[in-house]
Amino acid sequence: MISSRNRIAASIAGVATLALITTGCSSGGSGGDDEKITLSITTFGTMGVDANYEKYMEENPNITIEATNLEGGGAARDDAYAKIAAGTGLSDVVAIEEGWLGTIFEVSDSFVDLRDYGIEDVKDTWLEWKYDQGTGPDGKVIGAGLDIGPQGLCYRGDLFEAAGLPSERSEVAAYFGGEDATWDRFFEVGKEYVDASGKAFWHSPRFFWNSFVNQQEEGYYKKDGETLNIEDNAALKAHHAKIVEAELAGLGAGLPGWEVGPEAKAGDFAVYMCPSWMLGIVQGYYDEGTTDSGWDFADVLPGGAANWGGAFLGVSESSEHKEEAAKLALWLAAPEQQAAAFEVAGPFPSTLEGQELVADSTNAFFNDAPVGEIFAARAEGVIAQVKGPEDSNIQDNVFGPIFDRVSQGEITDADTAWEEAMTLLDQLVG
Amino acid sequence: MTSSTLGRPARSDLTFRQKVSRFDYAFSPFLYVAPFFILFAAIGVFPIVYTMNVSLYDWHLLKGQGDFVGLENYVSVLSDPFFWNAFGNTVSIFLLSAIPQLVIATGIAALLDQAIRGKTFWRMSILLPYIVAPVAVTVIFLQIFNQYRGPIAGLLELFGLDPIRWAFDVLPSHIAIASMVNWRWTGYNALLLLAAMQAVPRDVYESAAIDGANKLRRFWSITIPMIRPTLIFVVITATIGGLQIFTEPKLFDSRTNGGGDRQFQTIVLYLYELAFPRRDFGQASATAWILFLIIVLVGLISFAITRAIRTADVKPARSSAAPVGAQQGES
Repeated sequence: MISSRNRIAASIAGVATLALITTGCSSGGSGGDDEKITLSITTFGTMGVDANYEKYMEENPNITIEATNLEGGGAARDDAYAKIAAGTGLSDVVAIEEGWLGTIFEVSDSFVDLRDYGIEDVKDTWLEWKYDQGTGPDGKVIGAGLDIGPQGLCYRGDLFEAAGLPSERSEVAAYFGGEDATWDRFFEVGKEYVDASGKAFWHSPRFFWNSFVNQQEEGYYKKDGETLNIEDNAALKAHHAKIVEAELAGLGAGLPGWEVGPEAKAGDFAVYMCPSWMLGIVQGYYDEGTTDSGWDFADVLPGGAANWGGAFLGVSESSEHKEEAAKLALWLAAPEQQAAAFEVAGPFPSTLEGQELVADSTNAFFNDAPVGEIFAARAEGVIAQVKGPEDSNIQDNVFGPIFDRVSQGEITDADTAWEEAMTLLDQLVG
Repeated sequence: MTSSTLGRPARSDLTFRQKVSRFDYAFSPFLYVAPFFILFAAIGVFPIVYTMNVSLYDWHLLKGQGDFVGLENYVSVLSDPFFWNAFGNTVSIFLLSAIPQLVIATGIAALLDQAIRGKTFWRMSILLPYIVAPVAVTVIFLQIFNQYRGPIAGLLELFGLDPIRWAFDVLPSHIAIASMVNWRWTGYNALLLLAAMQAVPRDVYESAAIDGANKLRRFWSITIPMIRPTLIFVVITATIGGLQIFTEPKLFDSRTNGGGDRQFQTIVLYLYELAFPRRDFGQASATAWILFLIIVLVGLISFAITRAIRTADVKPARSSAAPVGAQQGES
């Protein structure tokens, strides 16, 4: 089945190449409708965009989509950087993560201005801040917004119940404080769980730290996106101390941030910070079709609503079919397709219409949680923070390793943790 | 002028066929070897020279060439504690892999050099790990070295020992990575050494046996000195490969560049981090050159050490036939 499909794809590609050679220069910009075109697209993680390819190829029989999906945002970033640096090799359509979009703006020549391909006509479909995020300092629109990252709490209903905590999702949300949930209360419940179950509450403090940083009006950078905002930031320092102390009190399982499937299955921890796109990642730890994992999803986020992550689609300037590629990118970023991606993988639509389309959506893996409704609630009032050029570097290489050292018992007090983080910051960014 | 006309008085008398033949004789060999040198120039020499050029500039990966900064990139790399951390990790992983690898490979080769049943089967078996892609090897070893759920963790638990933090602690992570390297390369090196051992003339062993040398003595005094050229080759390729190690530590924790806290960041991973996530192409190129020089240096040291094998082992065996063999080996 697959091989015959591959063969068909290969022959289509072959015909397309032939067609290109024969029609080549004469056809100029946009060819006729029946011209065979192969468009390449590079995505990462579990974005769910791939769910829409078949449909697009059915509706546009002259288009063949050649898709590559990379493991994670970091791999996609390195891949894109390498190809931009080489000046060749970018896919026609490239998925860009919020964390490194700022760097892409620095070399915006590599991507087309989507305004030339009609993005302004559909501008109003997006949440305003999402559209603005995809717009560079020079006004050039590089990214068509896909998903946003409103966050809720993934938790293990079965483990909560066994530990004597509420397990029904609205009760869980209320137990953490509902709309007024605070981080202090979150740590308190964690302690309660650890005392009752004898197991760790979270896998790693990293994600809970990221969530907190994203909740701040200004994160690692000031609003200008250039000035660092860490060393004298009392709020960050205070929360850092709290989270380190919670980890030291036994809340953490001492695991890495990602790829903790076996430990999740074994019930080594009970909560996971879940921006919309994380649902697919947690689900990916289990076999396809699993519904009895015990995971559930609650409408609560300690410290208030915040956005974490989200992706965009750009069209590379080196593409030979910019017109067609832009058409595909805008189609994939349109409300219906965002909704379809959400249904399969969980990234929450960045368009209001898309959000309405998924309002009734439930997720069988997460105990049939009404994820559409919950994310809509979690997205209320969310505005993405301004990210600076070294944002992901600071997250991964400054604070990340410090939390690992704490998890592993190499750092045993909050002050040392902060000091060592500042030393790393100096070495890497300062 | 005169000499050339004098030198080739008969040139005009040559027939076309003779001219072609002469041209063929003079230039064909160059044509035959040209593909290698053209390729080598394109994918060997050019990148090396270009990297040197990049390393002298302030060069942003995406924005391209900036100001000429001379050796500043080298200075900042050499004064970066992360570089020295990577250097230490690389040397540690290199030693942990190269030494056991060579010892075991020589041992396996010596065993396979004996008269055993099913020779081809054993020889093919030891090469099997080499065929498996390093990525696949890493994925399998990742499971084995899982801190909490791997088979090793299970064994330790059975004996009531604490789990080893393979991905967090420096030395365990190095051992885990070195074992992946060893698993992949030991068999390959063993085959090379085996081929060399089989080229040792059997009569040398016989006369040594007649002189009363036991098996061990024959191994140390005949086999080792006589496979020295191959040993040097193996040591040097292991050095080059070992210092450039990338795939295994990268995939050991693929979200990071050598561990969350750089516990197993090698020089190439450090270079990768500079080049891509941090986008400093100039410093990354400087690192590449520093690595190149380190490899040359370590290669020379390994060469010197393997050469010393002869002086240490052959001298006492002078009276036997060993010197003849050693000369053969060299020619």
